[in-house]
Amino acid sequence: MSILDRIADGWRKYRKPGYYDEFDYHWGMTVDLDRCTGCEACVTACQSENNLPIVGEKAFAEGREVKWIRIERYWEGEFPDVKLRFIPMLCQHCDSAPCETVCPVSATYHNQDGLNTQVYNRCIGTRSCAVYCPYEVRYFNFYDHHWDSPLDQQLNPDVTVREKGVMEKCTFCIQRIRQAKDVAKDDGRRRVRDGEVQPACVQTCPTQALVFGDRKDPESQVSKLMNNPRTYRVLDELNTDSSVVYLKKVEDDHA
Amino acid sequence: MNVSIVPALKALIPAALVVAVVLLGLVVGFWANAAFYPGTSPEQPIAFSHKIHAGENEIPCMYCHTQARRSISAGVPSVSKCMGCHNEVATQRPQIRKLKNYWENKEPIPWIKVHDLPDFVHFTHKRHIAAGIECQTCHGPVETMDQIRLTDAAPMEMGLCLNCHKQKEVANGLDCWTCHK
Amino acid sequence: MPNIDRRDFIKLVGAGSVGVGAGFMLRETIKHPTEQLIPHVIAPEDFSTGIATWYNTVCSMCAAGCGISVRTREGRAKKIEGNPSHPVSQGRLCALGQAGLQVLYNPDRLTGPLMQTGQRGSGSFAQVTWQEGLDKVADRLELLTAENQGNRIGLLSQGVRGHLAQLFELFADQLGSERLLHYDFDHPHTLYAANHRFFGEARLPYYDLKNTRYLLSFGADYLGNWISPVHHSLGFGHSRQGRSDVRGRFVQIEPRMSMSGAAADEWISAKPGTEGILALGLAHRIVSEGHYSGVDRDDWTTALSGYTTDQVAEQTGVGADTIRRIADTFVHTEPSLAIGGGSAANHSNGVDTLVAVNALNYLVANIGKPGGLVFNPEPAGPASQDRQASYRTMLELAEDAKQGNIEILILNGTNPVFSLPSAGFEEALAEIPLIVSLSSFMDETTALADIILPSHTYLESWGDDFPEPGVGFSIGSVSQPVVSPLYNTRATGDIVLQLAKQAGLSDAIPWSSMKDFIKDGWRLIYDRGGLDTQKESFESFWRSILKAGVWGEKTHRDPAFTLDKRVINSIAVPPPEFSGSSDAYPFILHPYVSTTLHDGHAANLPWMQELPDPMTSVVYGSWVEINPATAGQMNLKEGDLVDIESPHGQIRAPVYVYPAIMPGVIAMPIGQGHVTYGRYANRGVNPIEILSPRVDQRTGALASSATRVKIKATGRRIELVKTGGNSRELGREIVQTTGGKASQGHSAKLNSIPITVVPT
Repeated sequence: MSILDRIADGWRKYRKPGYYDEFDYHWGMTVDLDRCTGCEACVTACQSENNLPIVGEKAFAEGREVKWIRIERYWEGEFPDVKLRFIPMLCQHCDSAPCETVCPVSATYHNQDGLNTQVYNRCIGTRSCAVYCPYEVRYFNFYDHHWDSPLDQQLNPDVTVREKGVMEKCTFCIQRIRQAKDVAKDDGRRRVRDGEVQPACVQTCPTQALVFGDRKDPESQVSKLMNNPRTYRVLDELNTDSSVVYLKKVEDDHA
Repeated sequence: MNVSIVPALKALIPAALVVAVVLLGLVVGFWANAAFYPGTSPEQPIAFSHKIHAGENEIPCMYCHTQARRSISAGVPSVSKCMGCHNEVATQRPQIRKLKNYWENKEPIPWIKVHDLPDFVHFTHKRHIAAGIECQTCHGPVETMDQIRLTDAAPMEMGLCLNCHKQKEVANGLDCWTCHK
Repeated sequence: MPNIDRRDFIKLVGAGSVGVGAGFMLRETIKHPTEQLIPHVIAPEDFSTGIATWYNTVCSMCAAGCGISVRTREGRAKKIEGNPSHPVSQGRLCALGQAGLQVLYNPDRLTGPLMQTGQRGSGSFAQVTWQEGLDKVADRLELLTAENQGNRIGLLSQGVRGHLAQLFELFADQLGSERLLHYDFDHPHTLYAANHRFFGEARLPYYDLKNTRYLLSFGADYLGNWISPVHHSLGFGHSRQGRSDVRGRFVQIEPRMSMSGAAADEWISAKPGTEGILALGLAHRIVSEGHYSGVDRDDWTTALSGYTTDQVAEQTGVGADTIRRIADTFVHTEPSLAIGGGSAANHSNGVDTLVAVNALNYLVANIGKPGGLVFNPEPAGPASQDRQASYRTMLELAEDAKQGNIEILILNGTNPVFSLPSAGFEEALAEIPLIVSLSSFMDETTALADIILPSHTYLESWGDDFPEPGVGFSIGSVSQPVVSPLYNTRATGDIVLQLAKQAGLSDAIPWSSMKDFIKDGWRLIYDRGGLDTQKESFESFWRSILKAGVWGEKTHRDPAFTLDKRVINSIAVPPPEFSGSSDAYPFILHPYVSTTLHDGHAANLPWMQELPDPMTSVVYGSWVEINPATAGQMNLKEGDLVDIESPHGQIRAPVYVYPAIMPGVIAMPIGQGHVTYGRYANRGVNPIEILSPRVDQRTGALASSATRVKIKATGRRIELVKTGGNSRELGREIVQTTGGKASQGHSAKLNSIPITVVPT
């Protein structure tokens, strides 16, 4: 078997139905667009939890900001029949992720929990993954970021600070998942309970638009929401098989 | 007409000599740093001996490093903990006088870190202690060391982690995100 | 082998040394850096290395009073989350609340007491000791009190509640000063006044968004920054998709679409200032169609006779069909709720508008019912007097200062130089011999102070809060320090207590610290509490509050309410008045409190500066929003710099072409335009500078939406810093929508709105 076949095999294996059955979790998230108000509490929660840099006005103008979760806004119609629709956009943790196939050093790959990983110390900064990602949710560190003292005292010790030349993105708060698994082990449980682990964005969402959980557990909130007839995946036609599922915004006529 | 480049090269000899000496010096300097200042066994502000404490007096590791079984970090004992014994024990030795100085000035002791992992590694003492791993597996035979140092058997490198995770068939133990953050 | 003479040899030795040195340094630079392990001198009791400790306390970033839990590691604050057992926040928190960490760790904080050395405004300060600073202030206070001149002392604070408010009351009282004022730019004066007129009490009721089925919001950006946004968002989410049988529907009436407008099912732009007329038009429709059958029906019919659908349609610019449809839906969908605030309340007829909104609630009889408007009981803590200064009151204060009637002004956290339009406040301050500021930051007002006694941030101080509005029952929360103080600062309460002591007032104000003062106050709540509190000692009661972060008493108010006939007879909304003629100034300026920076106090937080504005996605700057058609006519494009001129001043800002704003209205966010507030804040322009001094006639509150302006292109343009690419979908179907029917019966019951705030 040539090395190319081996790699292809590796990529293919977790796309088979039932791949995740042999493991404990298959993490997923639902985003109810009918609840989302675009308040961006999630954005700041993520920034605070994951040591996202303050890039400054100049870098921001160059499009070099780093926001693992952001709110996209789309206008519809013209005055006076005009609407603004919000959508939180974060790494979709695709089960068939385009970014994973392209990384020359396997710094990004799919793990057994259904997470699209990013290993910073392995990343060499080719930025290919960002090019391949159709959701534009991968962020490159163009600079060594700096926190004016004493802002650095806020940095979360459970998350590393990424240096220049490294790609980064949403991890579904892997540090919180790890912590929850740790607690479960202490309690002698094999599995984490539903709701026991919430990424920072889900935890803070004031309208509960975001819900996170294990898709393998049929009783989890996230599994139930994924059966809602309003579900859809963004850019589903690309067959990315994303783990973030959106619930359509309800817009009825005024009658 | 015979043209030789030898005279031209000859003219370069003094310059080449200088470059060669500089390069040689570079290597020597690098080696000298590595040999005499390896950073794997730095001189500590107090010449604390694990050999005396953990070896000869057989004080259990977790008597001082109390956090190890509860927390990700093992914890360094507070100055008051040291003084708990050294109010009575060996009070006249020069190193203990240093300790007493710190205590009386209410200053912490600026220990130099030897067993250090990069910032992007998540390691939890708690889980490893719970799994019954001996402290020496990663830290080396500290009970024999007068000055704490990294050993070849326990170099604090990734291979050590992975070998052990493989041997013990740790669940998801080879996944990058088990340890990298 | 060449000959090497002595000189060559020395050269080679030199080269060799350089090489050795360079080699040594090379490895030194690539070597793993030496890190230190610093132990404690004495191990603390409340945390262990590597394990997070959480403290429950209270958010002070806006007036909502959310309970928060702060995660600390190794004695440093790392993350703020909502306190799950606090009824206001229920575990959730907004962006601004999260950014509270950057108040604590802000690099531009004042680190110790300062004294102005040059001229005021020169910015030259010298460090002094606390004793020097306190002595200088206390001596003057003592002198004035002894001479019975206490009223020459002014105390001007930001809005504070709980025991800090009570301490200020006590302090002012003992000094003999009646000049104790709170000033916040966005305090809803008109709402308090309207409730006083209509319900007979100047307090805010609880708006039960969670259980409502149809919400009419007249200008209130309840999801953005109106009163209690986190709690409203919780209610909104639940009303939308938290019930299996029904999906709540939301209507927003405002001239410029706010965040709440975007979330609403229907956004209606009535002419600015006519929101109250529209409300009365709806009321007229409800009464005239016979949907209201109360005993006072005839009074209503008479009072509303001037608000027929056609008349109102003409005055407000809202279609007659729309008025009929909304009125009918409002009365037929039970329960329904109307709220009013924001720009609708900031006109010359603000109070009348909000009275009209209250009338709608009265007509559909939702008062005291789930999904309606619920009266709050008396706050459990110290009932502070309403000290909030309206714009008119602030003008009087300025006038007093100009007359030389104020000798000392003590400022606490409020910034009127920034947030008071055309009041001549700076000139007034110049007439005050001694200005003292207790601010944590060098805001524009503090920059003019003679003595700065910087206070702790809220994460370093003791305090307590009794949220206003409450949640339908009595709650109180204690805030505690979550980290040790970073700098040589002191808690506001402790500064006041120390000043009182040194000014010889310790007989009446004997407490040595704010913590003792608060604890004594809570002893009263404990003694009074008829519930289970008596089973435990006060100390254990106190500890349990600190642990839980909140205390509550499930006592509800009697919902019975009779409306005074005179109120009905007096109901009317006069047309709004504007400053500037419509010929010379063709646009109405709609200044709105920024969702990210609020009234400007959050402008020094880098997370908030880098948080895209929810509607425009602009960061780090000011902009002016113009309707696309208007912009087209004036040939203006995004980024074109324009001069915005009112009868009271002129500012310059880039254009943002905003699809959801009425023609004839331009909007600007308030929040930017600082000059002394620190490295992140000093940018942009402040639209408050050009507002007219017109007020709501009944309260004297600033009618901030009543200024007319004109705009002039400057021919220059800049690139607006913002996120995202095209603001249209272009058929990509990124945000997908569905009709209303599809969602019925499939709503998920999420298991975490744990607290029902209204009895059902």
